[in-house]
Amino acid sequence: MMSSNLRRYLLWQFRDFVRDRGYAILLVGFLIGFTIVAPVRGLGRTIDSTLARNLVIAVLSQVTFILAFITLNGIVSTDRKLGYYRFLFSKPVSIPAYYVQLFFVYFIGFLAAIAILLGVFSFFTAPIDLVGPLLFCALLYLSLGGIAFLISTLFRYDWPILAGIFLGSAVLHQMWQFQEGWRRMVLSILPPVYRLTAELPNIVNRRPVDTNSVLWLLGYSAICFAAGLYVLRRRPFA
Amino acid sequence: MPHPRTAARPDVIEFTSATKIYRSLLGRSVTAVEDFSLTVAEGEVLGIAGPNGAGKSTLISLLLGYLRPTAGSVTIAGIDPRKYVEKNGIGYLSELMTIHPGWTAESALTRFAILASVPPADVKTRVNAVIEQLGIGEHRGKKIKALSKGNLQRLGLAQSLLRDESVMILDEPTHGLDPVWTQRFRGIVEGLRRPGRTVIIASHNLDELQRLADRVAIIDHGRLQRVVQTGYDQTAETAGTYRIGIAAGAERVREMIPAAVETGGGEFEIPIRSIHDLNDILAKLIDAKILVASVIPARSVLEQQFREAVGEQE
Repeated sequence: MMSSNLRRYLLWQFRDFVRDRGYAILLVGFLIGFTIVAPVRGLGRTIDSTLARNLVIAVLSQVTFILAFITLNGIVSTDRKLGYYRFLFSKPVSIPAYYVQLFFVYFIGFLAAIAILLGVFSFFTAPIDLVGPLLFCALLYLSLGGIAFLISTLFRYDWPILAGIFLGSAVLHQMWQFQEGWRRMVLSILPPVYRLTAELPNIVNRRPVDTNSVLWLLGYSAICFAAGLYVLRRRPFA
Repeated sequence: MPHPRTAARPDVIEFTSATKIYRSLLGRSVTAVEDFSLTVAEGEVLGIAGPNGAGKSTLISLLLGYLRPTAGSVTIAGIDPRKYVEKNGIGYLSELMTIHPGWTAESALTRFAILASVPPADVKTRVNAVIEQLGIGEHRGKKIKALSKGNLQRLGLAQSLLRDESVMILDEPTHGLDPVWTQRFRGIVEGLRRPGRTVIIASHNLDELQRLADRVAIIDHGRLQRVVQTGYDQTAETAGTYRIGIAAGAERVREMIPAAVETGGGEFEIPIRSIHDLNDILAKLIDAKILVASVIPARSVLEQQFREAVGEQE
């Protein structure tokens, strides 16, 4: 349960999100989206809602991982690396509670930024249903989030480690997805984010999804998140 | 004036054989603090002095719960320091002014006031009060990255004063302050002294610690070397060196006081064992019709003890 001083601090955390990450997310999202939508518009083709949905799927598959990375990068490690913790945590503040709140502030900020980008996208293409794309982004954040959180509690330079783990996981999945034995074991240990990418069209089009895959992914992330909280509680912050 | 430590006041901070060893992934280890035992009483102002790398910052990190001892224990009010901080907070001024460079001075203070659990209705009043007290009114709208070292230091001190804390830790508090603000700061710290509040000041400035602290813990190589009582009422029991200026009769001083060292310009450095010893020497000089022009402590008791403790004797 959050203490009242932390609850009062929530809006300041949101302000930090907007300034430190929000603008970057909007800029990167807009640029990548533009490179996908502009050629279609350049062909002079009429964009109806079906094409717009397919474009959304194309854009999201490209952009959401990067935007989630921008959002989650250094969520804990930045304060440790730059020493901001010294003043913050000399106040009556629980360190794990502070970062739980920050994680969810970033979650809301991330979804708000994606909603703005989708609004801009709709303006240039055709009106689209935001629920599916936002649901996918929410699932992606929650799936990546726990893993990113744990890595950020453990390492000062979490971004390259996180990128390495996800790229490694995706590459090994491509190589070993039909293998058995120890390779299968390794794949089952690595973060299974590729499972969500496979479900992207179903989620955007609001068709039935493989709930086992989604739950497995969320469970994996939740366990990592809990482990991150344990690290924050047990491990010295300096 | 500093108050002598009395047995009636309960201990608030307790280091018991605290040891902190940093270990690298390659297996190398550095002992930052070793077998450190010390108690600090409620209402006491304790100074911590030591050369660079002596372990002062590690001790402070242990007190804030940012580090845990490898062996031994550290407690505040009988509990783990981190638990104490999360429950009560500590007025802390860090040597390193690590505040987000994009925040303004005022917004930083507002944030810290909120985190310090200052009631919502009082936040603005408290922020304005510390801004005025530390004279940073004209800088309140400036970003942290635009503040000078001295103004940043004043901001750091301001945030530690936002709430009436029972434990305060000030790490190199006058670092970067100009002489005027160094003087004012000393007044502010004197004002912090109250029953029930424990203050720890880590500083390289021995003169500052001599003036502000009740006792000074001298550490070197991570070990507590000695604890020195400060204040003039204790000097009778300890040694010091005085610089005595002679207006006439300087040639006879060495005959009368063999330990006197002439430093030029009619000045002598004379080691004394006690304040009575100093008075005896002065009486002897005056009786011999030697004209004494000035008497200045050449080296404070604390400085003398510090030099002995860290092995920098002349």
